[in-house]
Amino acid sequence: MTVEADMAPVHEPDRTSQIAPLLAKRRWSRLRATLAVLVTQLAILAAFLLFWESATASNRALAFMFGSPSAIANFLIQMVRDGSLWRDTSITGLETLLGFFVGNLIGTLIGLSLWYSRFVSRVVEPFVIALGSIPIIALAPIIIIWFGTGLISKVAMSTLSVVIVALVTSYKGAVGVDPDQINLMRTLGASKFQIFRKLVVPASLADIFAGLKLTVGFALIGAIVGEFMSSSDGLGHAIFKAGSLYVIPKVFAALVATIALALVLTFLVGKIERLLMPWRRQL
Amino acid sequence: MTGGMGQTAERTTAAAAHGAEPPLVVEHVAKSYDFNGEIVPVIGDLSLTLKEGEIVSIVGPSGCGKTTLLNTLCGLLAPDSGHIRWHGREVSGQPQNVGYMLQKDLLLPWRTALGNTMLGLEIRGVATAEAEDRSRAMLDQLGLHGFADHYPSTLSGGMRQRVALARTLVNEPDVLLLDEPFASLDFQSKLLIENDTMGLVRRSRRSLMLITHDIEEAVSLADRVIVLSKRPTRVKAAYDIALGSERPDLMAVRESRDFSQYVRRIWADLDVVLQ
Repeated sequence: MTVEADMAPVHEPDRTSQIAPLLAKRRWSRLRATLAVLVTQLAILAAFLLFWESATASNRALAFMFGSPSAIANFLIQMVRDGSLWRDTSITGLETLLGFFVGNLIGTLIGLSLWYSRFVSRVVEPFVIALGSIPIIALAPIIIIWFGTGLISKVAMSTLSVVIVALVTSYKGAVGVDPDQINLMRTLGASKFQIFRKLVVPASLADIFAGLKLTVGFALIGAIVGEFMSSSDGLGHAIFKAGSLYVIPKVFAALVATIALALVLTFLVGKIERLLMPWRRQL
Repeated sequence: MTGGMGQTAERTTAAAAHGAEPPLVVEHVAKSYDFNGEIVPVIGDLSLTLKEGEIVSIVGPSGCGKTTLLNTLCGLLAPDSGHIRWHGREVSGQPQNVGYMLQKDLLLPWRTALGNTMLGLEIRGVATAEAEDRSRAMLDQLGLHGFADHYPSTLSGGMRQRVALARTLVNEPDVLLLDEPFASLDFQSKLLIENDTMGLVRRSRRSLMLITHDIEEAVSLADRVIVLSKRPTRVKAAYDIALGSERPDLMAVRESRDFSQYVRRIWADLDVVLQ
C-alpha cells in the first residue's frame, strides 16, 4: 500500500514532454519481459510435442497407447470438417455456461444474504458442509432419473458442482468485511440494508470473482461428467465414445477442445472482473 | 465561502434548539469486557464534559481504553452503567450530528475521493447533485482540488486522510470524535492536516474531542487536555491550555515556554516508567 501511496499523481503538465519518452521506454521493457515468458512457454510446449511425436513415430504399440500429436491434429481437422467439433464444443459450452451462471447466482445470493443473520448462518453451516462434501459424480444417476438425458440434466450437474463453492466464497467475502468499516457506516447513520448494499456487496466482489474463476473449471467438470453418464453429444460424449473404442488420439483431440473451452471461459471471467472492478486496474 | 455562511446559520439554530446544554456530557460511565470468562474492567468511573465550540484532547497511557471510550460515546458499545448525554439527551443507538474518524482512513477502494466523501450524504438521502456539489467544495477546502475522481489507491497517505476528513466534515457534524486520526502520518503531513482541520473546526465553532497518545499534539491543538489513568480508566487530571484560541501557526505554538511546561506536566501525569 505504501508503494502506491508514494506514487501519488503530481500535476505538472509542463513536465509531460520529458516524461513521455521515459514511459515509452518502460512500456517496451515490460513488453519484452512478457514476450520472454511467452517464448519460453511456447518452447516448452514445442519440446514436449516433439518428444511425444518422435517417441511414438517408431513404435506402433506406443502410438496406440498414447496417440501422437500429428494423429491428434488429423482428428481435430476431421472433426472441424464434419462439424462435430463445433457442435460438441458449443453444446458443452452452453451447458457449462448455464450451470456456471445459475450455480453462481444461487450460491452468491445465498452466501451474501447469510451475512444478514448470524443465527441463520449458524443454523445452515453444517448442512452446507454436508452438501459440499458429496462427490457430484455420485449424484449423476439420480440427476438423470430426475431431469432426463437432455440438456437440463447436464446443466443441473454443472450447477451442483458450482453452487456450494460460490456460496462459501461469497459468504467468506461478506463476513470478512473490516468491522471498523461497518462501525463507520453505522456512525454515518446507515441502516443494515445500506451497509449491505454500499459496503458488504462491493467489498465481497474480490472474493466472488476468485470464486468465479475457480468455478469455471468446476462447471465444465460437472457438464462433462453429466455427458459421460448419458448423452448423445457434447465433448464428454465424444471423449467417452472415443475412449470405449480405443481411439486414443480422438480422446486427446476432444480434450484439446475442452482445454480451449476452459481457457476461453476463464479469459472472459477475467475480462468481466476488470470491467466491474475498475479501481483494481490501477493497482 | 457561501457554504461557510450556511454552516454558521445552521449552527446558530442548532445551538438555540439545544439551549445551554453542552454538546456532550459523560457521567460515571463504566464499561468492562468479558475475557475468557473473566470480567476485565476497562473504563472505571469516567465523567467529562465537552462544551460548545471547545476542542478537548484526551491522552492516556497505552492500552487505557481510549478507543473503547470513543466507541461507547458513538453508541457502538453500550456502557455497563452511567449516562451519556448529547445536548442534554440520552440517545439509544448512534447519536445524530456526530462525526467519527479513526487512524485508519477506512476509504472504500471502489469509490473515488468524491464518492467516498459523498457517502454520509448519500446514506441520509441527500439529492445526488447537492451531495456532489457539497463534497466537491469540501475536497477543495481541504486542498484536494483536482483529485476528486482519483481512487484511494492512487493517493498518498496524507491525501487519503484528508479525504476521510472531508467525508466526516461534509456532514456538518456538531461534534467531532477523532481517534488518533493523524498518528500514521509523517510529521510534515501531520502538521499541515492538523492546521487545516483546526482552522475548519474553529471557524465553524464545532466541538471536537481528540483522542491521542501524542502529548505534543494534544497540547498544541486543544483548549483543554484530559489525562486518563491506567485501566480501569478514570480522569486523572485536566489542564486548561492557555495558548490562545487562535493558533495560526502550530509550529510556533510548539516553541513557546508554556507549551513545553504543559507537555512536561502531562508526561509526569502519565507516569511512564522508563526502563
